[in-house]
Amino acid sequence: MTYVEYKQLNPFQRFVHNFKKFFTNIPSALGRFISACGRGIVKFFTGIGKGFKNYGVTFVKGDWATKLSYLIFGIGDLHKGKTYKGILFFLSEVLYALYMIFFGWGWVKDFPTLGTVPTRWESDGFTEIQIPGDNSMLILLYSTLTLVITAIIFVIYIQNIKDAYRHQVMRANGEKPTTLKQDAQEFLDGKYHITLMSFPVLMISIFNILPLIFMILIAFTNYSKQHYTLFDWVGLQNFGQLFDVINSNKKAVTFIGIAEWTLIWAVVATFSNYILGMVVALMINKKGIKLKSLWRTLFVITIAVPQFVSLLLMNQMLQENGAVNIFLGLFNGGHNPGIRFLGDDVWVARITVMVVNCWVGIPYTILSMSGILMNIPEDLYESARIDGASPVKTFTAITLPYMIFVTTPQLITQFVGNINNFNVIFLLSGGGPTTTEYFGAGKTDILVTWLYNLSMGNEQDYGLASAIGILVFIICATLSLIVYNNSKSMKDEEAFS
Amino acid sequence: MIKSYKARRIIANTLIYIILAVMCLIWISPFVYLLLHSFRGEGGNVTVNYLIPKTYTLQNYINLFSGAGGDASINFPRWFLNTFVVACFSCVISTISVLAVSYSLSRLRFGARKKLMNVGMILGMFPGFMTMIAMYYLLDAMGLTRTLVALVICYSCGAGLGFQISKGFFDTIPRALDEAATIDGANKNQIFWKIILPMSKPIVVYTVLTAFIGPWTDFILAKIIMGDVRENYTVAIGLQAMTTPEFIQGYYKQYLAGSVCVAVPITILFLRMQKYYVEGVTAGGVKG
Amino acid sequence: MKKVLAILLAGMMTATALAGCGGSSESTASSQGSGSAASGGSVAADGKVDASMFGSETDITLKVWAPDKGVKLAKEQVEKFKKMYPDVKFKKIDVVAQGENDAATQIVNDPNKAADVFSFPSDQFNKLDDAEALAPVATALKDSVSKNNDPKTVDAATMDGKLFAYPETNDNGYYLVYDKRVVTDENAKTLEGVLKACKDNKKEFIMDCGNGYYSCTFAFTAGAIIDGFEEDGETQKFKEYDEDEAVETLMAFARLMKEYKGTFKSLDPAQITSGFQNGTLGAGVDGSWNSKADEDALGENYGVSALPTINVNGKDKQLISMFGYKYIGVNAKTKFPRSAQILANYLAGEECQIERAKQLGWGPSNLKAQEDEAVKGSATLQAIAAQSKNAVAQVNIQGTFWQAMGTLGSEMLKDGWDPENKDATKKLLQGTIKDVRDE
Repeated sequence: MTYVEYKQLNPFQRFVHNFKKFFTNIPSALGRFISACGRGIVKFFTGIGKGFKNYGVTFVKGDWATKLSYLIFGIGDLHKGKTYKGILFFLSEVLYALYMIFFGWGWVKDFPTLGTVPTRWESDGFTEIQIPGDNSMLILLYSTLTLVITAIIFVIYIQNIKDAYRHQVMRANGEKPTTLKQDAQEFLDGKYHITLMSFPVLMISIFNILPLIFMILIAFTNYSKQHYTLFDWVGLQNFGQLFDVINSNKKAVTFIGIAEWTLIWAVVATFSNYILGMVVALMINKKGIKLKSLWRTLFVITIAVPQFVSLLLMNQMLQENGAVNIFLGLFNGGHNPGIRFLGDDVWVARITVMVVNCWVGIPYTILSMSGILMNIPEDLYESARIDGASPVKTFTAITLPYMIFVTTPQLITQFVGNINNFNVIFLLSGGGPTTTEYFGAGKTDILVTWLYNLSMGNEQDYGLASAIGILVFIICATLSLIVYNNSKSMKDEEAFS
Repeated sequence: MIKSYKARRIIANTLIYIILAVMCLIWISPFVYLLLHSFRGEGGNVTVNYLIPKTYTLQNYINLFSGAGGDASINFPRWFLNTFVVACFSCVISTISVLAVSYSLSRLRFGARKKLMNVGMILGMFPGFMTMIAMYYLLDAMGLTRTLVALVICYSCGAGLGFQISKGFFDTIPRALDEAATIDGANKNQIFWKIILPMSKPIVVYTVLTAFIGPWTDFILAKIIMGDVRENYTVAIGLQAMTTPEFIQGYYKQYLAGSVCVAVPITILFLRMQKYYVEGVTAGGVKG
Repeated sequence: MKKVLAILLAGMMTATALAGCGGSSESTASSQGSGSAASGGSVAADGKVDASMFGSETDITLKVWAPDKGVKLAKEQVEKFKKMYPDVKFKKIDVVAQGENDAATQIVNDPNKAADVFSFPSDQFNKLDDAEALAPVATALKDSVSKNNDPKTVDAATMDGKLFAYPETNDNGYYLVYDKRVVTDENAKTLEGVLKACKDNKKEFIMDCGNGYYSCTFAFTAGAIIDGFEEDGETQKFKEYDEDEAVETLMAFARLMKEYKGTFKSLDPAQITSGFQNGTLGAGVDGSWNSKADEDALGENYGVSALPTINVNGKDKQLISMFGYKYIGVNAKTKFPRSAQILANYLAGEECQIERAKQLGWGPSNLKAQEDEAVKGSATLQAIAAQSKNAVAQVNIQGTFWQAMGTLGSEMLKDGWDPENKDATKKLLQGTIKDVRDE
C-alpha cells in the first residue's frame, strides 16, 4: 500500500490495516531481532578486541607511573597530583585483596564442584552431634558474590589505567588535573546522572542482579529436596526434563499442560478485560450520563482494596456453601444449588478464575480508558459535527479507532502481566483442582504459580523452578521484542499521517 | 424525527444506567458483605448460611485490637504499626529511587543511558519469585532476616526498575524549560529540584501512592523473611495466617474485621489520590 | 566511575558482614561435643535425666516451637523443667508459637533460625529427613523412650534402626462426631444408620471426600492398605488384597453417596463446627484438632465415636482411617545438643503428656499416661484410641498418594457416577493405585 492510499483510509480502516500488518510483520520482526542479536554479538567481540588493543597500546605509551598502575591501582593518579582519586583506587585494590584472601577465595575454590564434604554425625557418649559438611547453596551464593565483585574490580582496574593515561596526556599538554571541589561541582551538573543513579543502581545490583545470576546458575544444578545441602552441576538436565515429551516425562507433561493453559489464560484474561473494560468506560463517559465520577469510584474500589483481602474473600464466597451459592439459592426457592465453583471440575474452575479476573481487572481498564477518552482532541468532534456526522458515525469513525490505536501497546504489557499474574491464581484457586498428572501443580496453576510451588511451596525442586523462570523470561522477552519492533514501525507511520 | 431521536436517547441512557447499576452492584457487593459480616454478632467464628447478619456488634473489632478471644500471638495493633513504619520508610526510599532513575533516563544524556534502560527492561521480565531465595540468604548473611529493615530493603530495592511510567511523564515536559534555566545559570541539580519536580505533582503522588501501598499487600516475601517472629509480622501475613486451618475456627470474624481495617484506609487514600493516579497513568502510559 | 567505587565499597562492607557469619557457623556444633562423657547409668527407667547429662553446656539458650493453642502450657512446662535442674545454667528458653502444619517447611527453609526443639506431625518426617534436619534421639535416652511409648508411635519414627524423634501424641486422626439429638449412639455404629438418621431429620453429613487425607478411608476399608515403600525407596507399596472384595466395598460406598445425595456432603471439615453451630448438621468426620470446637458447639449433645462400619454384601466392615502421631524433634543444627535432647525428652515425658491431655485434649503416646484417669474419662480420647486400632500409620507416604486418593473420592461422588458399574469401579481403583505408585 502506498502512502497516498494509506492516507485515504478512514482511521478505523487504518487500524485494521495496522492490525493486520502487526501479525504479518511478526516473521520479519523475528528475523530483524535475530540479526540484531548477531550484530550485537559481533560488536561485543570487536569491543573486546579493541579493549585488548587499547590495553596494550596504553602500556607501551605510558610513563613509569602509568605502567605501575597496571599492577598497583592509583599510582598514575597519585603521581599526577590527583591525590584523592589515586587513594580511592589504591584502597579498592587493598580491600579487594583482603576480601579475596579472607573470604572470597574460600568459597570460589569450591565453585567447580559445589562442595564435596558430606554432613556427618559424631557421638559424644550421650547423643549424636551433627558435624556440618559443605553447603553447596552457600558456596554458589558467595561465589556469585565474589564473581560480581571481581567484575566490578575489573572495571575499576580498567578505569584506573585509562585515568592514569588521561592524566599523563593532560600533563604533557600542560593541563592541571581538576580539584576535588571542581569534581564535586561537576557531580551536580554534567555528571548529575551519577549522583542520582548510584544509589538505585547499587540497590538493584545487590538485591536484584546478584540474586538473579545466582538463580540462573541454580537452573543448571540439581538443587532439590533430595539434594538439599550438597548438590551438583547437571548441565541442561532440568531443561531436558521439561521438554522430554518423547518419554512423556511427568515434568514435561506438566510443563506442556501448564504452558498451554498459561497462554489460554493470558489471551482470555487480556482481551476480556480490555473489551469489557472499554465498553464500561464508554458507557460511563457517554454524553448525558450523570454521576460519572461516582460510577468510576465504585468500580475503582476493587483496585484500592488489597488483593489478598478481595481475592481471599472471593475464594470463601465461591465455596459450596459460600455467599454466591446462597445468593443463587434465593432464586431457587431458598435451596442452595451447591455449585462447586473451585471444585474438581477443571473447566468450571478455570472459567471461574477467568470471570473473577474480570472483576479484578476491568476497573484498571476503565481507569486508563477514561483518561484517554477525556484526552481525545475536541476539534475532531467539532469538525465531525460540522460535516453533519451522526453520533453513531462519530463514535465509529473517531472515538473507537482513536482508543484502539492509543491502547494497543498497553495490551501487550497487560498480556505479559497476565502471564505473570500470580495473585489471582494463588489466592483464588490455589492452583486446584489437584491432579496426579502433574508434578507439583494443579489444573489452574500457571507457570509462575508452579514456579512458586517448586521453590517455596510443597515440592522443593529449585533447579527446575529456576529453569521454568528462565523459560518464562524467554517467552516474555520474545513477545516484548516483537511488539517493540512492530510498534516502532507503527509509530513511524503515525508520524507522517 | 427529533422527538424520536430524543426518545431513543432517553431509552439508551436508561438502559446504560440500569447496566451500570447492576454492574456496580456486582462489583461492590463482596465488599458490602465483608463490611456487614465484620460486624456480625451471632453465629460464632464461622461462615453462616445466610447473606445479611442478624445482629451487629463491635466486639469483633475490640477482640481484634485487644488480642482477646485467643492467645497473645495474634497482635494486630502491632502488625498495623509494623506495616505503617515499613510502608513509610520504603515509600521514601522507593520514591527517591524511582524519581532519580526516571529523571536521569528521561532528561539527562549520558553514554550508558540506552544500555541501562535495556538492562532495566530485561530485569523486569524475570519472574520476581525466582530471586526470593537468594535474596533471603543475602539478607541472612547481613543479619537482617526477621527484622523490619529487611522488609524495607525488599520493598524498595527494586523500585528503580519501575521507572517506565514516570519516565514517560518526564518525557512530556518540554526541553525548552531546561535550556532556558541553563542559560539563566542553573545547574542540573537546581533544574531538577526547582523546576521539574514542582511541575510533576501527579507523578510524584502516583509514585508515593504505589510505593506506600506495596507493603500492605505483600504476604509471600514478608512471610519468608519473618518466619516465626510474629511480633514483626505485617498485616498481610497476619491476616493470611488467620485464614489457615489452624486459626480460621477461632479468628474468622476477627479476620473479616482486620480485612476491613486494612482495606478502608487504603481505599480512602486511593480514592483521594485517584485524580493523580489517572493523570500519571495516562500521561506516562500513552507516551511511554 | 565514582559509582563503581561506591558499589565496590558497599560490596566490601557486605562481604565483611558475610565473613563474620560464615566463619562462626562452621564451628558451632563441634565446640560443645567434647564435654565430660556421661555414663548411661543416670537415666532412670521412667526417662528422668540426671543433671550431669548436660555435660559442659552452660548459658543454655534454646527455642521451643509449640502450636498456638499449646504455647501457654509449654511455657509452664519449660519453667518446671528449669526448676528441676537448679545447678544447670539456663540463659533463656523461649517458647514461640509456630503452626505444626508448617513446622517442617519452616525448619527446612532456614534451620539456623528455627527452633531447637519443636513439635510436628508424623507426615512431615520424610521432608525433615530429606533435609537432614532432625537429630536422632540421644543414644542414652533411646531405650527408655522406646519402652515407655506406644510401639506404633516408636516404629513410625524409626528409620534404619535409629529413633528420630520423641513421640508426643497418639491422636492425630479423625473419627465420627455427631449431634446426639439427631444420631443416637446406636445409629452411630453403622454408616447406614448415621446417614439414615441425618436424612430423616433433614440434616447433613459431612466428610471431605475430595481430600485424600479423608478419602483414603475408602481404599483402606476396601483393603488397599499402604505398607511403606518398595525396595527403590520411592514407590508406594500396598498390602495384598482381594480385588473383587475391594470393588464391592467401593460400590457400597458409592451406593450410599448416591442414595443419600443432598445429605452426604463433601465439604471442608472446617464447615463441621459451623454446621453444628447453625444446626444444619447431623454428623461428620472430623479430626482431633477440632474436638474442642465441636464440643463447644454441641455442648451436652456432643456425641463421638470411632468411625462406623459399612455393610458390604451383608457383612459389616469397619472403616479404616489414616492415623498420624505427633512428635517432638530436635533440630540437627542446635547449638546445645545435649540440653535440647534433655528438654525434648522432658516435654515428651509422661507428666507433660498428661498435662496436655487434661488441658488441650491431646491423646498421649506414653503408655502410662494412656492409663491416666484424665485420658480414660474423655469420650473424645477414647474414640480416638478406639479408631487408632483400625488405622493406618501416616508415615512413609509418597506425595502422589494424596491427590490420587482425593480423585478416588471425588470421582465416586460425581453426579454421573454409577455405583452399580463394576467395571468402572474396578478401573477407578486400579487407576488410583497406579497413580499412587506413579507408574
